[in-house]
Amino acid sequence: MNGEIFLVGTGQTKFGEWWQKSLRDLIEESLSAAIADAKISPLSIDAIVIGNMLGETLSEQAQLGALTSAMLPHRPPAIRVEAACASGSVAVHTACALLESRRAETVLVIGAEKMTDADPAHVAAALMGAGDSELDSPSGLTFPGIFGLVAARYMHEYGLTREDLSLVSARHHENAASNPFAQFRNAVTPEAVSESSLIADPLRLLDCSPITDGAAAMILSRTHRSPIRLKASQIATDTLSLTERPSMTSFASTRDAFSRACEEAEITKDDLAHLELHDCFSIAAIINLEDMGFADAGAGIRLYRDRSADLSINQSGGLKGCGHPVGATGVKQICDIAKQLKASKQRYGAAHNFGGAGATCCVHILEQTI
Amino acid sequence: MQGGTILSFTTVRHPPTGFPDAPIRLGLVALDSGAQVIGQLLGVNPMIGDRVAPRMRLTRTTEQGLRIYEVAYESLVRVAVQDTFVFEGYILALTGPSGVGKSTVSKILSKALSDYVTPVPILTTREAKQGDDGEYRYIAHEEFITLQDRGLLAAATHIPSNTEDRLYGYRAEDITNIWKQGRIPVVVTEMHLLQGLSRTFGRRAILSCGLLPPGSSRRAMLSQLLHRLRARGRDTEESIADRVKNAGADLDFFTQRKELFDHLLVNDNLENVIDALKGHVLKTQEERA
Repeated sequence: MNGEIFLVGTGQTKFGEWWQKSLRDLIEESLSAAIADAKISPLSIDAIVIGNMLGETLSEQAQLGALTSAMLPHRPPAIRVEAACASGSVAVHTACALLESRRAETVLVIGAEKMTDADPAHVAAALMGAGDSELDSPSGLTFPGIFGLVAARYMHEYGLTREDLSLVSARHHENAASNPFAQFRNAVTPEAVSESSLIADPLRLLDCSPITDGAAAMILSRTHRSPIRLKASQIATDTLSLTERPSMTSFASTRDAFSRACEEAEITKDDLAHLELHDCFSIAAIINLEDMGFADAGAGIRLYRDRSADLSINQSGGLKGCGHPVGATGVKQICDIAKQLKASKQRYGAAHNFGGAGATCCVHILEQTI
Repeated sequence: MQGGTILSFTTVRHPPTGFPDAPIRLGLVALDSGAQVIGQLLGVNPMIGDRVAPRMRLTRTTEQGLRIYEVAYESLVRVAVQDTFVFEGYILALTGPSGVGKSTVSKILSKALSDYVTPVPILTTREAKQGDDGEYRYIAHEEFITLQDRGLLAAATHIPSNTEDRLYGYRAEDITNIWKQGRIPVVVTEMHLLQGLSRTFGRRAILSCGLLPPGSSRRAMLSQLLHRLRARGRDTEESIADRVKNAGADLDFFTQRKELFDHLLVNDNLENVIDALKGHVLKTQEERA
């Protein structure tokens, strides 16, 4: 980081089905919560970055930058960014660029998505925009299908069993139970995961993160100080389609973004006390842990079989438990890491967010001054 | 249009709007050119590693009536097997997790039915260990790979682990030689070996028996295996942990690939299992005669 960037305030809506709230309502609610939490005057915000994927397709609303800016009395400059499910974290990355270049002193970052008003087939088609429209979609492939292919290959290569895979969602639900902002606060047994209906084999309903409405916001500043700082913000990319990759059972973008983020923050993975990682489908959590170096290839499930005392993984409930409003997730993960650091008085935490099947991966590392 | 090999496949239960409202099976196929594509898979039970050939298929019709054809991939192996397979004899395959007693059963059965059956030597790249009883033929890693490349193995499997990295396989010639003597080859397999054998000789050529450890639940079965492996005293504790882990996948295999098994037997009493197997073998012999 070029200079110090402080995280001075966070806010979010409860994630869930909000049929009585529009995309605009969700943005406004999260933004107000973040400003209230930061205890700063909204007038000191000199730029806004909003991450959103599906505004046009599901809410017939583009121009989210100007839309959000109009919610503040002085209408600061605003931009909207899109990187599928990584839209939120890429918005944070963009805000860092504005701050590091001294274009702005204090930036409001928002991630927002409104998904449940459209019928599920429409949402699935819209989400498939994150895949490759020439190489993937024409065959009838869906996102669960893409991760179904990944899971089938992973099971073939490493002998992961259905029972093992079910531990992932069960743990995320267990964690979500104590998160008041989560969509699903009910415990789910591994057996229930194994018995839920098939979506794209071997993946079942409870392997998949849900369709969710929600927004999250944070205020980043160079001038307003706080004990929590952003130490690293890194983006890496890969091909959109699995067909152009040498391996299906490892995400190169996760490896790149995470190793560069650790380098930027001048820490190793062992310094981290909290990790929020992208578990859009249960298998993704396992592979991402391996690619970040927390387990050898094929052994990621160990972190779900045994609990680590030194590292919390998706303490918020992850995408499975909290729900996955695609543009909001990346911002929400960083807000959660900030909360977890404050509560545990630990020093470092990381948020890992990706778009598509890891076509974009964005990793942020937070440090708390103790 | 090129053929290729299946790298992975899945069945999309809820295809996108515009596609027929029925599950579609899609495969990620590595074409012979090296490029990879996603396409529909045809055929009943595809497996990762199967050879496929391209075929044009009508995938959907648009609202305007435009008929859209795409390349789909048809599993080749089984088509060929049905057309050209000459039935030479059959193989008795015993499949089950490590520690369930496959080798013991195979040994006793070979004695009890010495008029009919001959065990097939297992090729392995691992070191000889105390407790091995002549069932293995030890060869160097390079030699194994050469045999595999030359297509001389009927089935092979790679078992990576923390403690040892090993290859196992069966030579096709060993099996056909036993057939030539008019006898029944007996093999001890796990999931990959069984699939390989059924691909080489055809599923019909295998009298496939699964051996399960006793126990009313999965957990009970696994702990039973753990006890047996420890009692056997052949492996280190670390290697046992590895084997128990793999055993979980082996147990799942019985339910996931039911079509690969003719009989499932619980190995709670050795005599009963041997009697049952003897029955199955003799019955099959009669049917063939």
